[in-house]
Amino acid sequence: MDTQETPLVIFTILAQMSVGAFVVNGILHVFARRKNAKAGIDKLSDPALYAIGPVMVVALLISLAHLGDPLHALNTMNNFGRSWLSREIVFGVAFAGLAIAFSVVHKREWLTPLLHEILAAVTALFGLAFIFSQAMIYVIPTIPAWDSWATPVSFFITTFLLGSLAVGVDFVAVTTLPGMRSRHGGDTRPLLYQSLRWISASALILLGVQFVVEPTYALELSSKGGAAARSANLLLLGGGSAFVAEMILFFAGGALIALFLHLIRAGTPDAPAEATAASAGAGVAGAGLSQRVMVYAVSTAFVCVLASEVLGRMLFYTSNVRIGF
Amino acid sequence: MAKQLGFFIDQNYCTGCKTCQIACKDKNDLPIGVVWRHVAEWVGGSTNRFNGAVETSAFAYYTSIACNHCEDPICIKVCPTTAIHKGDDGIVSIDDSLCVGCRLCEWACPYGAPQFDAARGVETKCNFCADYLAEGREPACVAACPSRVIEFGELSELRSKHGTINDIAPLPDSSITRPSLVIAPSRNAQPNGSLNGSVVNPKELV
Repeated sequence: MDTQETPLVIFTILAQMSVGAFVVNGILHVFARRKNAKAGIDKLSDPALYAIGPVMVVALLISLAHLGDPLHALNTMNNFGRSWLSREIVFGVAFAGLAIAFSVVHKREWLTPLLHEILAAVTALFGLAFIFSQAMIYVIPTIPAWDSWATPVSFFITTFLLGSLAVGVDFVAVTTLPGMRSRHGGDTRPLLYQSLRWISASALILLGVQFVVEPTYALELSSKGGAAARSANLLLLGGGSAFVAEMILFFAGGALIALFLHLIRAGTPDAPAEATAASAGAGVAGAGLSQRVMVYAVSTAFVCVLASEVLGRMLFYTSNVRIGF
Repeated sequence: MAKQLGFFIDQNYCTGCKTCQIACKDKNDLPIGVVWRHVAEWVGGSTNRFNGAVETSAFAYYTSIACNHCEDPICIKVCPTTAIHKGDDGIVSIDDSLCVGCRLCEWACPYGAPQFDAARGVETKCNFCADYLAEGREPACVAACPSRVIEFGELSELRSKHGTINDIAPLPDSSITRPSLVIAPSRNAQPNGSLNGSVVNPKELV
């Protein structure tokens, strides 16, 4: 398998996870606001929010390793009018800057709530424009494997899948890890469980969509002949058993998320958390155990899906076969 | 000055000796791994036993290709730095002082023209021996060809003299970039996208 593009694999995966996490966080905030639970959701999501800017900066720095002459990196923004790569860098740098600015504004409680929300929405839009441009770089008429609807579709699936699971890991960690729990007083459990239910359900749906997209795309490629068929061959067999491993990890991630959804439903009745805490000693111990199992389930699911997406992206670059010379 | 310079290749007399490739490499002092002009060998046909007799339709032909200084260059479209540009005479060239070495032009070009110079970290490509042209000399590849199968000149003149064919395997569909290239096809030439045959020296074209 082609490992030459490792910097691009790391860059695109981290960048997509960052944008996804920002957008998913925003959607959860919109839902929470309806229930007057803004303070609660902030407590849960702040660590993830503060991580997005720095992760994006790291991702952009890693992307420099792809360049032959990193000292000319600023030139990559010269051709905004024509080149999707220029657009990617402009939107990517803007998203990183806005995400950091939003974190600062949020932490210091600057601006009015309305301006706060407008800043968040603008940041999210730049993030989505960034991922769209990133996908369009590869939609080149001379590389049939990339010149496909599947390129933007799979980039956006990765974005929201990794974004929602990253936010899920953050939520569970905040409420469970001893050090973090003590810093976050107040009861956020009902909100937590509802958010996690939404996150898990959307992750499962996205996994399902990708499960249809991947084989459909591979079949379409192999039926086209020529360079496309060579790409299909590389995609399915070029990485040894990487494609099979990708599917297995993917499936394992999905199974763990399903288990997680089940644990949330079984372990946490809709009754308020105080009632659970006030119940008999055995009950408290049981709740503690399920909480720990939940952490394992959601973080293992995240790792499985992340590994699967990394393998998928490596195969994406491996399948680069051009028409002509 | 020409409006659009182009190359003409006569496949009927090309022997695949690659003197053009070496002359180019020598003139431009290209490092190992960088070739601005390369020659594809397309081999097709089959050999069958039929009623006790052996029949063969096996064939081979060569196509010498450098940058085609396209009318609609895909390299210029994808380049994020505006380092690649088209001059007054139609020559497509790369400005080293802008190139960032992202290699996107190399991925996109269906003629394998942009070549990455790893030591300098930038893309390089055929510049039509612009310095030779300024001195009134022929490009190195044209001057070196022992079979005299490479011609260069104003594209419109090449087309009126030799026709407009340039859609031949293993070349890509010419509508993608509109190359400034005219080919006198071999009698065995296959249309682009043909499944009759394949490039048998792919490693020489990387």
